[in-house]
Amino acid sequence: MNLRQQLGSGLSMAMVLASAFAFWKLFSIVTLSNSPIVVVLSGSMEPAFQRGDVLFLWNREQYVDVGDIVVYKLHGKDIPIVHRVVREHKVKEKSKKVKKPQQKQKLLTKGDNNERDDLPLYSYGQQYLDRDRDILGRVFGYVPWIGYVTILITENVYCKYAMMAMLGLSALLQDE
Amino acid sequence: MFSLFQRAQTVSNYVLTLVTTMAAVISLSWLLQLHFSAHGEIPATIAINKAVNTMKYSRNFGGRPNAGKENVRVAFDLNADLSSLFNWNTKQVFVYLVADYEGKDSQESKVVFWDKIVETKQDAVLDLTDIRSKYSVWDYSPTLHNKTATFKLEYNIQPYVGPLIWGTADASTQLQFPEI
Repeated sequence: MNLRQQLGSGLSMAMVLASAFAFWKLFSIVTLSNSPIVVVLSGSMEPAFQRGDVLFLWNREQYVDVGDIVVYKLHGKDIPIVHRVVREHKVKEKSKKVKKPQQKQKLLTKGDNNERDDLPLYSYGQQYLDRDRDILGRVFGYVPWIGYVTILITENVYCKYAMMAMLGLSALLQDE
Repeated sequence: MFSLFQRAQTVSNYVLTLVTTMAAVISLSWLLQLHFSAHGEIPATIAINKAVNTMKYSRNFGGRPNAGKENVRVAFDLNADLSSLFNWNTKQVFVYLVADYEGKDSQESKVVFWDKIVETKQDAVLDLTDIRSKYSVWDYSPTLHNKTATFKLEYNIQPYVGPLIWGTADASTQLQFPEI
């Protein structure tokens, strides 16, 4: 084993990681969404979307429409939620920064598989989602179950360790 | 010469290319087939039989103890044939009855009164008489009465693999929300 070889393999590893990151950010710019690809985590949109399915988001429209499936993230909560828009209200709203009233879109969402709308999920006192503040994007494409790998890695510690061990072993055995 | 890592990388690259190509081919041929099976011309009729307006003070219905909100429910007849939307890659069709109306200060609203998940072609012919709306609907502003709404039937086709498609059935009717 010489040092040059090891440095070389380290470099190619870094290259793979860097290009993955670059592609992710490129997708973000194209779709104008912070997370352009999401994995479904709950069963509230069954039977259409199951845990582990992968959704592609688009966020370039000014307004989303009723019937669209959107991904939203509430202020102060980490987990994004995939649900369908069931009500929209375009209203004029005054803000502290801009004096002139601005056209805002207020949304109510609901999971297809849930009994009622998402009102109990929202923050206390919050009646509607705001298009600009809360919505990460609109679902336009769907691929089933290939995202289950990420669920396994994030929710199962042993799977995480096994993955690490595999990577470590392959790095050790590389040059034999 | 070839390490474990390199082999794994080659295999995963190959699988990824294969999956992407197959997804693209499937979605394209599905879209073409939908296009030729008259997607976009869904025959339907809607008739609103009854509309009831009540004042609600519960947070679950948009109100507050000291400020009520008008909630409207309707009963309606619906006929629609969605079977042309079903083929080998259609997983389900989500069909929903929406009303859009305008309010003060050029406020625009669109609300869902009823929806249904249709999973098979056998269930795709809807023939419903005098069924009640699934949801009790309130507005952003406190009142709904005297606003004139246009009711339409819209649908969302969800595939096994590929893009999601939205459309509107060929039916509409108008209703003025009643007083309490």
